[in-house]
Amino acid sequence: MTAAPLLQVENLQMHLHLRRGVVKAVDGVSFHVHEGETLGIVGESGSGKTMTCLSILRLLPIHGDGRLEGSVKLDGDDLLQLTEEEMASRVRGPKVAMISQDPMTSLNPVFTVGDQVSGPFRYHKLVRTVREAMSAATAGLRRVRIPSPERRLKNYPHQFSGGMRQRVVTAMAIACSPRLLIADEPTTALDVTIQVQIMSLLRSIQRDSKLGIILITHDLSIVAGLCHRIAVMYAGRIIETGKVRDIYRNPQHPYTQALLEAIPHLGQKRKRLAAIPGQPPNLMDLPTGCRFAPRCPKRMAVCDDYPPATELGDGHVVNCWLAAKQ
Amino acid sequence: MGLELRDLSKHFIVRTDRGNAVVRAAEKVNLEIPEGQTIALVGESGCGKTTIAKLVLMLERPTSGAVTFDGKSLSEMSRHEIKNYRRQVQAVFQDPYASLNPRLTVRRIITEPILAHYKRDRATLNARVAELLEIVGLPPTAADLYPHEFSGGQRQRIAIARALALEPRIIILDEPTSALDVSIRAQVLNLLMDIQEKFGLTYLLIAHDLALVEHLAARVVVLYLGSVVECGESEQIFTAPKHPYTQALLDAVPRPDPDYMPKAAEGFDDTGSALDPPSGCKFHPRCPHAMPICTSENPSLITLADGRNAACHLLSARPALQE
Repeated sequence: MTAAPLLQVENLQMHLHLRRGVVKAVDGVSFHVHEGETLGIVGESGSGKTMTCLSILRLLPIHGDGRLEGSVKLDGDDLLQLTEEEMASRVRGPKVAMISQDPMTSLNPVFTVGDQVSGPFRYHKLVRTVREAMSAATAGLRRVRIPSPERRLKNYPHQFSGGMRQRVVTAMAIACSPRLLIADEPTTALDVTIQVQIMSLLRSIQRDSKLGIILITHDLSIVAGLCHRIAVMYAGRIIETGKVRDIYRNPQHPYTQALLEAIPHLGQKRKRLAAIPGQPPNLMDLPTGCRFAPRCPKRMAVCDDYPPATELGDGHVVNCWLAAKQ
Repeated sequence: MGLELRDLSKHFIVRTDRGNAVVRAAEKVNLEIPEGQTIALVGESGCGKTTIAKLVLMLERPTSGAVTFDGKSLSEMSRHEIKNYRRQVQAVFQDPYASLNPRLTVRRIITEPILAHYKRDRATLNARVAELLEIVGLPPTAADLYPHEFSGGQRQRIAIARALALEPRIIILDEPTSALDVSIRAQVLNLLMDIQEKFGLTYLLIAHDLALVEHLAARVVVLYLGSVVECGESEQIFTAPKHPYTQALLDAVPRPDPDYMPKAAEGFDDTGSALDPPSGCKFHPRCPHAMPICTSENPSLITLADGRNAACHLLSARPALQE
């Protein structure tokens, strides 16, 4: 993976200007994704992981006057410089697609699955007739391994199980062969047995098409087997990033360490969990220094200044004074 | 004594395009809930865990069978006894954004169950509220705030304080942490473990997160489409699951380990529909070990040598399931 990255995000900011103040939802985030690579973005609610991805697609909340800054380069194009029309015709769908958490709310209950899966083909004028649209939809459903797709085209979303619905949404996302797929908690609403299946489906799609994937999650265990690299977000910033093995085996940031210790894992029984005290900070009133400092067990005086990025080798970067000092 | 489920069944009639159909949400479930322990109900969505909790909480009436408390069936209890039962059995629900009335102050929320059962003067109530808030780790000033002024984790603490208000013996925990953020979950779990120890509480835990179940529960009941397929000590179930469904469930759990890949069982796409459950063993269409007998005969729950129960033809035929 020495080639230029598929997606290069530099110093991305997305601030929402509300009457009550400015919400710094995304506050200077940089990362990249290569072809055929999966980047896991891990964080709690409010950490800015979803807003980061919506910013890439330039889909911002209508209210709040969201302001984007920085650059998002996809295949050399800076997405933040494109017009809304170019985004809709050239980027969303053919280049970047997204699947969201809840497949029930992302499908329209009053249209058949065939109508919806053929939607991207029709919108991007890849098909001319209804017949072509339906055969494209059938092929799409077959790609995500829905059994007897011809018969299921006329079904409505409620006639599908949760896992099957997520497959339908995935079929729509990959319809126009995008280069980058953003999956926002794609399995959170599903049972574990179905989770594994969606994960292995994403893996096989990636193998076939060299897709770059950004996988957003709050659960570090889900991403372990699927991601190549991980970025941990806290209060609008990436605080640690690196190869998956480095993050799990050798986490440097106290927040990453705490996240790994705070979840019960199979095989460890009835011992007290190392809870992280306190709450994540208010995004309208952030600490000036390290944003995790108020909850950090290893807090020092110097943490009142924002810690610099320290490169630990092999792409493992951490923003923490503990690492900076060594 | 405590709580016991005897042959408990709950059927729902639902209308479909082909006329009425019966959903067997719980089918002849037998369960003893030992005092002072945590027993967990696990299984995929639609397996009947929540139905069982509702039956225990008397939010639903059983179709047949009974929930008994200290040896007496709930359906045979007098009004007075039912009131007593309701004092003993409380619940904490999944979503603390939905389970707390937004129009009431925390003080009203916590005192509501007390006032439903006793006459108490204001000073006693206020002292009790302060005491309960301290137990769940909230400041006394929280009493006069409204739920929206708290974060998810704090709201779940308020719900726990409300559940403790009547000094119950049993608390039903329906997915108590799945709506909370990872960094907050551990705080609430630790709190639940602390108060269990302090007050000798019995927990009936409903959860789909198996790691959480292993962490909290002493006994585990695995449900599949309304029936118990395996039930035993948590350690037995997690270290050596015997039923192919329990095995598949455990194999699918992801771990925070980049070298571990959860296994996707082949053809494991659909849970059978509870509306039209498969014949014989309900798990057979998804089972990698299905035999001819599995399609025709429903295996009964048998007791294995190590004391656990499981319902599988493989186990009736042979002492242990071969890999």
